[in-house]
Amino acid sequence: MTLKTLFRGAFAAMAALSLAACGINSVPAAEENAKAKWADVEAQFQRRANLIPNLVEVAQGAAENERGILTEVTEARARATSINVSAEDLNDPAKLEEFAAAQGQLGQGLGRLLASFEAYPQIQSNQNFIALQSQLEGTENRIAVAIRDYNEAVRQYNTTIRTFPDTIGANIIHGAEPLVPYSAVTEGAEVAPSIDMTSN
Amino acid sequence: MLRFAVTCIAACLIAGCAAGAEVAEAPEPALALTGRVVDAADILSDAFERDLTADLAQLEEDTLVQLVVATTPGLEGRTIEGYALELGNAWGLGDAQRNDGLLILVAPNERLVRIEVGLGLEEAIRDEEAKIIIDSSIIPHFRKGGFEAGIAASVEALAREVSHLPMEQAA
Repeated sequence: MTLKTLFRGAFAAMAALSLAACGINSVPAAEENAKAKWADVEAQFQRRANLIPNLVEVAQGAAENERGILTEVTEARARATSINVSAEDLNDPAKLEEFAAAQGQLGQGLGRLLASFEAYPQIQSNQNFIALQSQLEGTENRIAVAIRDYNEAVRQYNTTIRTFPDTIGANIIHGAEPLVPYSAVTEGAEVAPSIDMTSN
Repeated sequence: MLRFAVTCIAACLIAGCAAGAEVAEAPEPALALTGRVVDAADILSDAFERDLTADLAQLEEDTLVQLVVATTPGLEGRTIEGYALELGNAWGLGDAQRNDGLLILVAPNERLVRIEVGLGLEEAIRDEEAKIIIDSSIIPHFRKGGFEAGIAASVEALAREVSHLPMEQAA
């Protein structure tokens, strides 16, 4: 082996190392992380949607006067659960906005429904309702955490694909596009306002 | 000469990647994890802390669940949910795989209390069960200023909820 081939070998190894370190792995890793975090966001919204039929059931019979709000919430739930944003669509601001708008509407409807229940002592003392209330509260909290984690993952991914040297791999090999963070359509609309249970 | 230039670029890339790979340090938690009982608000007596620490160590031995009791002098304008979650994560309570950390956080000045449940214990301690523990074991004592009694009752209640765990987790 001549000195020349040795040099070539060393150069190839170095080039491979520099390429591997420059976005070949870090870009897809950051992307997968963001996608996984988005799956969490969707799962937590789904968890909230799953609680709503039970909530409606509690209200039926006990709060017939609230039929209007009940219908509104049921419809908002149907709309919200029909809109899914797949991992491939996370770079599409319009899709995310549509999703956020539907979830925001459901959150606001839920808030109004829970507020209307305050007038019904029968509901307030219902053990099922008390349990549901705590589950909803916990789920709203999980949604907020999932959104925060997703947005942080998106920020990291977007920084990765824009920062030298990862941006080389991101542009040339992956054709990476920035992902869209989740933003509530109206401030706090994704979280139903919690009501003060101690007032009655 | 060309080869030299290429090598030079490769060297620059490596240097750049090394710099880019530095991970930003996680922010310092609001409270330091000084033991199983972190009484930063100073509302617990030394004797109670000692007994509680022994109980919590026993709980971990029996169920593998790591429960920490913390009190804070102030939430610094943050929600107790966010504050408690950050403490639990920053302290790394519980086993990283099982995610079975538990945190009771008391903010006496804001009159707030929270039970933060690790993801792995969400089935064992459901939202409604945590609420029942807060409403029936903690609040009645706290209303009368009995922080120690409330904490002792809630630790006992939480221990009951996870008492079945070691058999499942050993599997």
